[in-house]
Amino acid sequence: MKFELSEDQALLRSSTRDFLAGEWPIEQARKVMEHDPRGYDPAAWARLAEMGYLGLLLPPNLGGQGLGAIELAIVLEEVGRAAMPGPFLDTVLAAALLASAGKRDALVNDIAAGKALVTIARDDAPFSGGNATPTRFEGGRVRGTKYFVPFAAAADALLVTTLDAVCLVQKPFEVIALTTFDLAQRFGEVKLDHAATAIGSPSLLGRVDQLAAVGAGATLLGLMSRALEITLEYVQTRSAFKRPIASFQALQHRLADMLLKTESTRSAVYRAAWCVDTDAPDTAIACAAAKAYAGDASRLVCGEAIQMHGGIGFTWELDLHVYFKRAKTLEQHYGSTEAQIEHTLAAAGF
Amino acid sequence: MDLRLTEQHLKFRDELRAWLTANLARPWREELRDPNNNEDSLMEVRRQWQRKLHAAGYVGMDWPTEWGGRGASEVEKSVFEEESARADAPQIVNFLGIGLLGPALIHHGSEAQRRRFIPPMLAADEIWCQGFSEPGAGSDLAALRTSATLDGDHFVINGQKIWTTFGPWADWIFVLARTDSGDRYGGISFILCKLDTPGIIVRRLRQITGESEFGEVFFEDARVPRENLVGQIGEGWRIAMTVLAYERGAMSLAYAARFERDIRQLAIACREHGRGGTAVREKLGRLFVENEVMRANGLRNLANFADGNKPGPESSFEKIFWSEFDKRFRDVALDLLGPGGLLERSSAEARADVDWAREFLWARAGTIYSGSSEIQRNIISKRVLNLPQI
Repeated sequence: MKFELSEDQALLRSSTRDFLAGEWPIEQARKVMEHDPRGYDPAAWARLAEMGYLGLLLPPNLGGQGLGAIELAIVLEEVGRAAMPGPFLDTVLAAALLASAGKRDALVNDIAAGKALVTIARDDAPFSGGNATPTRFEGGRVRGTKYFVPFAAAADALLVTTLDAVCLVQKPFEVIALTTFDLAQRFGEVKLDHAATAIGSPSLLGRVDQLAAVGAGATLLGLMSRALEITLEYVQTRSAFKRPIASFQALQHRLADMLLKTESTRSAVYRAAWCVDTDAPDTAIACAAAKAYAGDASRLVCGEAIQMHGGIGFTWELDLHVYFKRAKTLEQHYGSTEAQIEHTLAAAGF
Repeated sequence: MDLRLTEQHLKFRDELRAWLTANLARPWREELRDPNNNEDSLMEVRRQWQRKLHAAGYVGMDWPTEWGGRGASEVEKSVFEEESARADAPQIVNFLGIGLLGPALIHHGSEAQRRRFIPPMLAADEIWCQGFSEPGAGSDLAALRTSATLDGDHFVINGQKIWTTFGPWADWIFVLARTDSGDRYGGISFILCKLDTPGIIVRRLRQITGESEFGEVFFEDARVPRENLVGQIGEGWRIAMTVLAYERGAMSLAYAARFERDIRQLAIACREHGRGGTAVREKLGRLFVENEVMRANGLRNLANFADGNKPGPESSFEKIFWSEFDKRFRDVALDLLGPGGLLERSSAEARADVDWAREFLWARAGTIYSGSSEIQRNIISKRVLNLPQI
């Protein structure tokens, strides 16, 4: 048994960290998310493609690197640490979904090469009441409205889920921007009445959902571990009552809890990734539990980071709100905490 | 990364499962809830269980075979704990002896001490309790004041120990006593005392559960042979610290197995009582999720042990996680069960699956004993985060 990463995986971690530190320092990340209406930078996107990140999960014959869920987690943890904006996870998942359908190889190749942007349109309702009319696929057309479609405005095509199919819809489609407080992730509402092709049945989503839980969980892990790091630096430099505030037990105990939550998230996310890669019997439980826990834990840790900074923590200028907002947003997507809890119970036979 | 058990470990697990099925008379919670059992008879159940385990070679799992152990790896030890929890086996009666004193003797004791004390400890013929805590020194263990003064070939011991688990049933106690009042850590010695020594009195303490699993031990000019000193005079603190590290192995998997059983029982109870709906389901789900994360922590720690790493201050994470979770879980359980969850086990109307009322109260202990949550957080902030200390 071994929890440590392999040599190749450790190398992937350090090279990704270096790459993102060069391409996406937090100032750059913030500039793009705050000022570019697309929410991402196509030039930087092309470099991600060049480095092979967009084809992370794809087999080499589709322009990919043939890596697994652990590598996905490693890269997305770094994406979270860097607070890199853009549809990275969405693209990787869309490519994996298309590839698992065994169709549209050319499009998969284009995604990996950064030439086509495809994301997955899942939500039928803006609120999780589940009362919305589901999107339908009939007679070669997709009809309905999808909400919170990641980067819909920039997408060249969407993979739209319906009751009995996953369909590919090419642009143009009408997009209403849904602006949230998280500027790193752009969403749109898409009204669909479009000719479409079915690429497969909704069962294709099973593995994609597990990868989504791992990827989003890992991003949350990256966000919280960076927020904790920033806070640890701050409490050791900031003095009050003639002492560094890091020497106060009231803060020490909360910092210890932040680390406990972060490391527990790490255990859960990497266990889930390992389960996906080895097709372990408890994969469904492990993935859903990891995402559910990561959402809560990341919001709490990023929130504590703001609290410990005091007034400065509440400012736009300081970066912590970027982490906090992203954590809260990710908590609601790729299977909300509520949904993941339900998945966990269902998979455990409750 | 590789979180799989090896073929060899799987084989060990399957043999152990078969053995547990064949040898466990009935689940521990049935024993606990049997109105014919009282605290004394339950201790006897645990004694008999230890004897069975010992005969089968499952006591002192990670001890060297030379001293009656199995020479097993951390992984096998953890598999043993997890499978025992899954089978709902009782804890052995001599777990303080086996868990703490045995390793102390093997590492620091004399040959004569090992020969004298280890065999009856393994066979549950002599029950041990631990004399570390004092009324004025719980979390601040080094503030202990019980003194041991050399007088010829005897130590004369004076003072008081408290929260002494198994004190009321034990034959022997291992004591940390001050042999030099001027040296906070270096003036403490590790001494073995027979509890029927004149001058030693054990009194039962009643716990919030109504049980008396722990007691207090008074020493008044108790004369203990010098040969009962473990290691050298003044080495007690160091010995205690190495021994306590044994207390913190990869235990989360065993806890997760036990908690999962209880969460499933709670779900059944809710269903039977017509308590359903999304609010109840979400509460159960959050418990299940958190328990899975604890399991993941356990797997990670176990894998690290298997990979050759020693338990470090990170084991404080495990301790905080399971003990704080236990409290939250039992709170939620009583909320969901309503007034029925308050019934004592002696009540005919009480549910027979889990003694929910006792578990609820018992959970308050886990965040206090064996290093309180506050102490564990101090350890993390000092040794993992390296934060400045006052």
